[in-house]
Amino acid sequence: MKTKLFAVALFFTFVFSFMLISAGVPDAAAEKKLKAGFIYVGPVGDYGWSHAHDMGKKYAEEKFPWLETVIVESVAESDSMRIIDRLIQQQKCDVVFTTSFGYMDDTVKAGKKYPDNILMHCSGFKRSANVGTYFGDLYQMYYLNGLMAGALTKTNKIGYVAAFPIPELIRHINAYALGVKAANPKASVDVKWIYAWYGPDKAKEAAEALIAEGCDALAFTEDTPAVIEVGQDHSEKGKQIYTFSHYSAMQPYGEDSVVSGQYMDWGGIYATILENIYNGTWTSKNMEDKDILWLAKEKAAILGGTPTDPVNPKFVPALKAAMIDSPEFGKISAYDLVMKRYEQMKQGREVFEPFTGPIKDNKGNLKIKAGEKASIGDLMSIMYYVDGVNGNIPQ
Amino acid sequence: MIQITTSDRYNITAARSLMTSLGAFAAGLLVISIIFLAAGVNPLFAISEIFLGSFGSAYGFKETVTKAIPLILIGAGLTLAFRAKFWNIGAEGQLLMGAIFATWTAQTFGEALPSVLIVPLVFGAGFLGGALWGIIPAILKIKYAINEVITTLMLNYICAEILTMLIVGPWKGKTRFGFPGTDNLPESVILGVIPGSRIHYATLILAVVSAAVLTVVIYKTRFGYEARVVGENPDAGKYAGIDFLKTSLILMAISGGLAGFAGVGEVAGIHHYLGYPASVSSGYGFTAIIVAWLAKLNPLYAIFSGLVFAGIVVGGDAIQISLGLPAATVQIVNGILLIFLIMGDYFLHHKVHIRFGKTN
Repeated sequence: MKTKLFAVALFFTFVFSFMLISAGVPDAAAEKKLKAGFIYVGPVGDYGWSHAHDMGKKYAEEKFPWLETVIVESVAESDSMRIIDRLIQQQKCDVVFTTSFGYMDDTVKAGKKYPDNILMHCSGFKRSANVGTYFGDLYQMYYLNGLMAGALTKTNKIGYVAAFPIPELIRHINAYALGVKAANPKASVDVKWIYAWYGPDKAKEAAEALIAEGCDALAFTEDTPAVIEVGQDHSEKGKQIYTFSHYSAMQPYGEDSVVSGQYMDWGGIYATILENIYNGTWTSKNMEDKDILWLAKEKAAILGGTPTDPVNPKFVPALKAAMIDSPEFGKISAYDLVMKRYEQMKQGREVFEPFTGPIKDNKGNLKIKAGEKASIGDLMSIMYYVDGVNGNIPQ
Repeated sequence: MIQITTSDRYNITAARSLMTSLGAFAAGLLVISIIFLAAGVNPLFAISEIFLGSFGSAYGFKETVTKAIPLILIGAGLTLAFRAKFWNIGAEGQLLMGAIFATWTAQTFGEALPSVLIVPLVFGAGFLGGALWGIIPAILKIKYAINEVITTLMLNYICAEILTMLIVGPWKGKTRFGFPGTDNLPESVILGVIPGSRIHYATLILAVVSAAVLTVVIYKTRFGYEARVVGENPDAGKYAGIDFLKTSLILMAISGGLAGFAGVGEVAGIHHYLGYPASVSSGYGFTAIIVAWLAKLNPLYAIFSGLVFAGIVVGGDAIQISLGLPAATVQIVNGILLIFLIMGDYFLHHKVHIRFGKTN
């Protein structure tokens, strides 16, 4: 009797769920569609990298009625080929976005395998007829964060919790250190490597270690608010630690600790790429030279720990009180200097570039001559610490 | 009142074993259906998508076989170790050490030698690397009575760090623009694939042959007998004069060596360069532990359980891609299936009697 009842119930739930599903299928529009697949390295709820990409995807999806998307999250780098295969063969995606550096070789291989599809690889350097690259970089924001860290520090020791020793991280650490130096020539930056993009436990440990060594301002590259939570914890207990939010709006995790941060808006980048592909400007024949890099000028790189405040209001008075001798602006408050530099960055690299010579590495060798600006190519492959960063890049 | 009693079952036939596994599988699917319903997805549609994505389509099946190659190799090796109750949790590290040895051999001799010579050499090097990493815990266990669960597990991390050190340091490739990872292996080392797939057939053949040979070794040779005695009745083993050190060394060399083969396959067959540990192996060394258990510690069955498990993983992609559910659902589905398969084992070995009625 019971089993019969169960069987009947099960039957009805199946029927009911069929109805639910068929009701959810929208009428197929007759107009031309574009289907894009997105491969994320972390979960979309990671509050960092993958989350930011997914926000960008959603923005493009809302903007374009012709766009259809599929996402795959938490894809191990060793599994990316299988997922690309499935997105193209089974899901019939026209475009696939691979959003982790570790997917590079598989993306290029997939380009050879599917000559009629377009692949877009984020953060890499290998392109072909149908494989393009795109990136949004935050180094300018790290410079501005460095200005604030240098202005606020009491110990003159600044910390950085870093994921992997690759050019992107070195560039960010350097930009941060250049900012610190510009605000406070006595301060220097210590770096701890955790060898993980997603590693809240390791990030916490590294943050605690830096604080124990005397650092009172921390920036980081890791996909969780772990460092901020450490900073908030110490700040609540009376030891002020300044932190800088990374990649998403992490200020709510540390209202008493987060001064500012870097925030990436991928929406515009994805919309631009998809629109170009949709209207036929970009095809599977001409991607070889499609290498997008968006910075502050394109409003991809945004300053702040929330989308609304470039600087946490709590720390504005302290930054307004900290005076800096600027070669360009004379005596100026740290707050005004940050805002001036931010405005200049929005106008473009030609107006202000943190990597403008003379820049020496931390061994004393001149790397960028006085008056010269580092090229994008130099920045993308930078593998030396500038003066002001302590220690050596792990070899 | 309902009375439940159990008793041991002795007459376990192959048919009963198969039926139990299928029954457990079906029961697992039923529970999974409830989860799909809760997520608002039609369970029949979901399960058919998973099946189509793993075994039911040419595309899916090719991927399943590709993924099964390392699982079969490592799983077969683990059946030997587990039979001797040597709990080798270190296959992941043994795989990576195999990959390291293979990469070094390929980069050093690959340019000078033709494929017919270098490919066997690279596989040999991979076996050696995995075997060396495997016999360390064997020595520690037999000579110094150090628990092998701990040593094999910890050696995974040590090996991962050694690999990372090599690719960010001395082995960092010139073609990588400062990013960690070796240059691509020479063309002569790259393993051929079945056209239109990623199945590197040399490793697949090696996996099947290894599993078959190992079955003969376990059931038909003196060494296999000794390994089983070491596991099942160590006291009798001592009395019979079995050399525990020698037996453990050989079995861990084989178990580690097969994991090393898997490492060669991943590097020379799939990725073509040595990158971060996570981009060499997606945890095959750990997944294969389950493969060995599902195979009931019979290496020949590991071929099938490796395929089944690879199918579960590959089919799991459909959960995300076709059904649009979060990645965590894949883990839940896989976890439930495994729990039911392992629970099925209990019902295979025990009779359960349920009596309805009053008890006075």
